[in-house]
Amino acid sequence: MNNSFDRLIDGMCATLRTEVLTRLDDTFARGQVLGVINVLNTFKVRADWSAGFLLQQIEAQQRALRDAEALLRRTDLAGIEDLIGDRGKAVLPPATATSGAVSGASIDALLAARDDANRAIAAWLAWLDAERARLPEALARDLEGLFRSAMRAEIDIELKNSPRPLFAEMSSGREA
Amino acid sequence: MSSNPATASSTAEVGARATGSIADDATLARQIAAYLASQVGHPVEVGTVRRFAVGFSWLTYAVPVRGLDLGDGLGPGPRELILRLGPDYGLFAPYSAEPELLALRSLEGSAVPVPRAYWGSDDRAVFGAPFLFCEKAEGEAVVPWVSATEPGLDESYRKRLAEQFIDALGALHRVPWRERPIARLAHGTDASGAAAEPISERNAARLNVEHWEAQIARWAMRPYPLAEWGIRWLKRNCPVAPRVAIVHGDYRTGNFLEQGGRITAILDWELVHLGDPHEDLGWASLPMYRGGTQLISRLAEPEWFYRRYGEQAGYAVSMDSVRYYQAFALLKLAATHMAAARCFEEGRFNDMRMPAMGSQIATCLKQMEKTIGAAEAQAPAAGTQRASSSTRTQPASQR
Repeated sequence: MNNSFDRLIDGMCATLRTEVLTRLDDTFARGQVLGVINVLNTFKVRADWSAGFLLQQIEAQQRALRDAEALLRRTDLAGIEDLIGDRGKAVLPPATATSGAVSGASIDALLAARDDANRAIAAWLAWLDAERARLPEALARDLEGLFRSAMRAEIDIELKNSPRPLFAEMSSGREA
Repeated sequence: MSSNPATASSTAEVGARATGSIADDATLARQIAAYLASQVGHPVEVGTVRRFAVGFSWLTYAVPVRGLDLGDGLGPGPRELILRLGPDYGLFAPYSAEPELLALRSLEGSAVPVPRAYWGSDDRAVFGAPFLFCEKAEGEAVVPWVSATEPGLDESYRKRLAEQFIDALGALHRVPWRERPIARLAHGTDASGAAAEPISERNAARLNVEHWEAQIARWAMRPYPLAEWGIRWLKRNCPVAPRVAIVHGDYRTGNFLEQGGRITAILDWELVHLGDPHEDLGWASLPMYRGGTQLISRLAEPEWFYRRYGEQAGYAVSMDSVRYYQAFALLKLAATHMAAARCFEEGRFNDMRMPAMGSQIATCLKQMEKTIGAAEAQAPAAGTQRASSSTRTQPASQR
């Protein structure tokens, strides 16, 4: 999800109150809606996003960042030391993003680690794009391939943990 | 018509409101009566306004009026107008009514079926938001999203709609816009309001990508390296447009009305701009609008769509450019979903469809990457012109 857990709960409760309860005359049905609001408010104080898929995403990102560093170290840099030197260091991912010390962290810390790793990947790709013409072709291709795989993995993990969208039902207001 | 119509005793009510929020329906009816009276010079009765539940962006109202003679042969009897308001809290706020107003006026009398635009302004002192009054077109929208169990459209009905859908797009892209009011958009403005680079065949793609890059920088609530990678690819591979045309910007099933198999109006011109006509082809052919079929916008077989469209528009469609604009369209759709997620997160709306839209960012970016991969796998056709940008911009994640 791209919205915060708390805001989703607040939005659901507000929608049930203003858009559903106001159109519902049946006393039992109104009681059920208020019961759902009560449970949602309980979720708000006791629940949060699952850490499981965030950890998988961070693992995929950090693996790509570590592999990119290793690839750079293995490459014969003769002739391009000046390029890899200052510019390369400037875009290397922050240590926290590759430390792997994320298990047991809070959800907020995991979200921050995922975003940090994404910033690092974006910075690598921006550098790669700017310097592509001066880099060995195979190195540029391999680095880009690593990061594209990591970005695909992040999205695939997110989609694997998302329900089937109900756009047809939402636009018609009817169950399929 | 309401039994208690709102009439303005004077035109003093126009401009009397401070800028800001939009009034309740009863007050809005009085403001409308005052505004219309100020435009036509005599009192106008306005009945109970009715807001349409559709849409996430502009607010759309049906406005029953009496006593308004617009010189179109209908006289001063009862009629309905459409009022669109672009609220400050809307999905893509801040809004301007100007592009849509200019587009509708530019298309009057053309082969593109559009409602007639009457008045519009960005002056928030009138209704608390930019506004546009236009004719109410008759008909129903065909929705692009259908469940797997829903039967397809009847074949002859589908084919009739498809022909009109294609022909209207071809007609739109043939409009000699340089002689029409919309020519004013040819010289855009930058964020500071200063005159920007005038649009041409060579820079149309780049200007468009830069526009949406800026929108993503405004709306994204976290870094999306795949979006940034896509933006760089799009900048590196800008095609030269076959011409600069009026681009609808959201041309698809769901944004036209039909009645008895006849398209009565193409609607939702809020994203209209000048650009490469291939852009509308890329958008209309998105997988999200196929309704579970292989048909473009649930209507047309792809090969036939591009052939008939090319004949109607009068230029040779480049499939390289179509693929480019499909990738661009997926980035743009991801951006609109980012806007929805932000709009909801900031509490501007409690509409639960917005976070549902926000959850589709990943789907759009995945499709974009796949589309770019497919475009890379296809060697550019011999003679395809590229106007690649050499502009290097700082990625959004580093801002």
